[in-house]
Amino acid sequence: MKWKKSVLGVLALGASAGLMLTGCSGGASSGGSSAGAGSDGYKIAFIQGVAGDEFYISMQCGIESAAKDAGATVTTQGPEKFDPTLQKPLVDSVVASKPDAILVAPTDVKAMEAPLKAAADAGIKVVLVDTTVDDPSFAVSQISSDNKGGGAAAFDAIKEAHPEGGKVLVVSVDPGISTTDARAEGFQEAVKGDDKFTDLGVQYSHNEPSTAAEIVTAALQKDPDIVGIFAANLFAAEGSATGVKQAGKEDSVTIVGFDAGPAQVKQLKEGTVQALVAQEPATIGKDGVAQAIAALNGDKVEAKIETGFTIITKDNVDGDAKDAVYQSKCG
Amino acid sequence: MSAVKQAEMGPETTAIETAKDRETPIRKLFKAQAFQIFIVLLVVIAIFSAIAPDTFAQLSNLRLVVQNASILAVLGVGMTYVIITSGIDLSIGSVLVFSGVVSATTMRAMGGDDWGTAIVGIIVSIGVGILWGTFNGILISKAKVPPLIVTLGSLGMALGLAQILTGGVDIREVPSVLTDSIGYGNIFGAVPIISVIALVVVIIGALVLHKTKFGLYTYAVGSSEEAARRVGVKVDRHLIRIYAISGGLAGLAGILSLSQFGTTAIAGQSQTNLNVIAAVVIGGTSLFGGYGTIFGTVVGLFIPAVLQNGFVITGVQPFWQQVAVGAVLILAVYVDQVRRSSAARGGSTSFWRALVSRKKK
Repeated sequence: MKWKKSVLGVLALGASAGLMLTGCSGGASSGGSSAGAGSDGYKIAFIQGVAGDEFYISMQCGIESAAKDAGATVTTQGPEKFDPTLQKPLVDSVVASKPDAILVAPTDVKAMEAPLKAAADAGIKVVLVDTTVDDPSFAVSQISSDNKGGGAAAFDAIKEAHPEGGKVLVVSVDPGISTTDARAEGFQEAVKGDDKFTDLGVQYSHNEPSTAAEIVTAALQKDPDIVGIFAANLFAAEGSATGVKQAGKEDSVTIVGFDAGPAQVKQLKEGTVQALVAQEPATIGKDGVAQAIAALNGDKVEAKIETGFTIITKDNVDGDAKDAVYQSKCG
Repeated sequence: MSAVKQAEMGPETTAIETAKDRETPIRKLFKAQAFQIFIVLLVVIAIFSAIAPDTFAQLSNLRLVVQNASILAVLGVGMTYVIITSGIDLSIGSVLVFSGVVSATTMRAMGGDDWGTAIVGIIVSIGVGILWGTFNGILISKAKVPPLIVTLGSLGMALGLAQILTGGVDIREVPSVLTDSIGYGNIFGAVPIISVIALVVVIIGALVLHKTKFGLYTYAVGSSEEAARRVGVKVDRHLIRIYAISGGLAGLAGILSLSQFGTTAIAGQSQTNLNVIAAVVIGGTSLFGGYGTIFGTVVGLFIPAVLQNGFVITGVQPFWQQVAVGAVLILAVYVDQVRRSSAARGGSTSFWRALVSRKKK
């Protein structure tokens, strides 16, 4: 077979370049492959609920700084969507990499039980951060915000803005996520306790801001006199604010969002959103690391920790509440 | 026949090419694209094993990778048949969800927790899948609507109907006999039952495709539908059967997914159809019909699964896996195109030769 001249030329160049490189780097030792885990540092794996969400990124920052203080190493993985079919293979792979402890935010109360139980059976300490599962007995500890209280506090914010009462709507994520379900429950219970307000129910946005926007514009078409919308997480809040802006109802509708990512803070400053209930993801992360290390050292662990929240409004966003805003990058 | 006419005949001329074959079986094996992709898979496994010997190269890890790929393998068999007929089936993810929903609703209504309920659920799931597949097949063969459009439509309809049936709320009551045995049970203590089921489907699929008249007709229809029709193959009925098989396997995958996750996971499976199509194409099946193997599909499935697993274990961002799979996919179709065009010119079907040899002008 006669070779193509261009291919021969590329091969010749490649071969000579290769020879030159090996000649030059001759004595450079490959050195030990790093990952520099201190000989007594624990290996902690953090599995987020979804990658790219500032709530989980802030949690990652908290985990990494707490781990650094404790001399442990952290690897972080997250599925591209908040979905158990995507999270399960990740959990399996992480378990195969044999960490000492896993901090995980399960994406479904039922579907993630079996894979995480398998992790616990393999001797790995499992700490549930943010969300939980139906039967958390295999986990060392569960740490989350007081989501029900947060939902009730959101209703108080709407009540303050509209003391005369009216219709309110909840935009949640997907049923079966323990945190957003608890927030919606807290909000709806508070609404039930007040006759002046009518509960229009819960709509699910599947963690897509575009879906949340569509839901809100459709709801406003059906009930133009909605006075308050409670958006149960970061993406729901982003989308709901967009929906209200599209419908041109920024002045009449009060939106209270859960979570305080940079886009939501921008919407807060613009006035489309009136209040944000910020959780403390970094604290959840730090507590998670502390509980994991306590379990690994054989010390006493706390089975359930509830962290607090801050209500951010336009007045305090640049003042007292500045640190409560979530980070999109660590450091 | 002049050289010009031969060049215009397209995929039919691969048949002429294989008639000229006088190579030994070993040489033919090495040239098969499925085998070349298998070598790629082995190389990937070797690289990850070298980087992480005590975490990646463990039987327990391999077990989990196989278990997670099992549902996709079942879908891949159906998709291979469909793509060989130069069609496509985008609706498998939604049919999976819909059949899971109908099955879970039936089992919940029946109430029991035993094998009686479970078997009814399995039959319902597969039956519903076959119905959707037949629906697709009838529209594609009788109404002559392109497969891309029909299956795109049934993707939306099946998912929408599933959400209507459940009100958007996942059903979480699955009989524990299913989750304990199929979902997480093992034979001989180590081999996951779900993988055994997938293996059985793969073997049956391969035998039917390569050894029966049904398989031969599938290749014929894919290679040239008009020629097959004139020779006497009942093309319309065959296409309906092919899509019914694809739907039925999606129904089977639905009950397997229900067993493994314990919930209908309505919001999931949005990218399953594209992942399966990518796996089938990477494995050497030609998108233009007429050529493909089940073995190639299985190998094509394992490459993304092994890549993701390896990246997670070695601590690389798993997003690189999507970059890698996308690149391999484009490469696989490019290789297929080069082979087809050199076959059309009457030259050898070796990709290597087409790339590096000096072409006779």
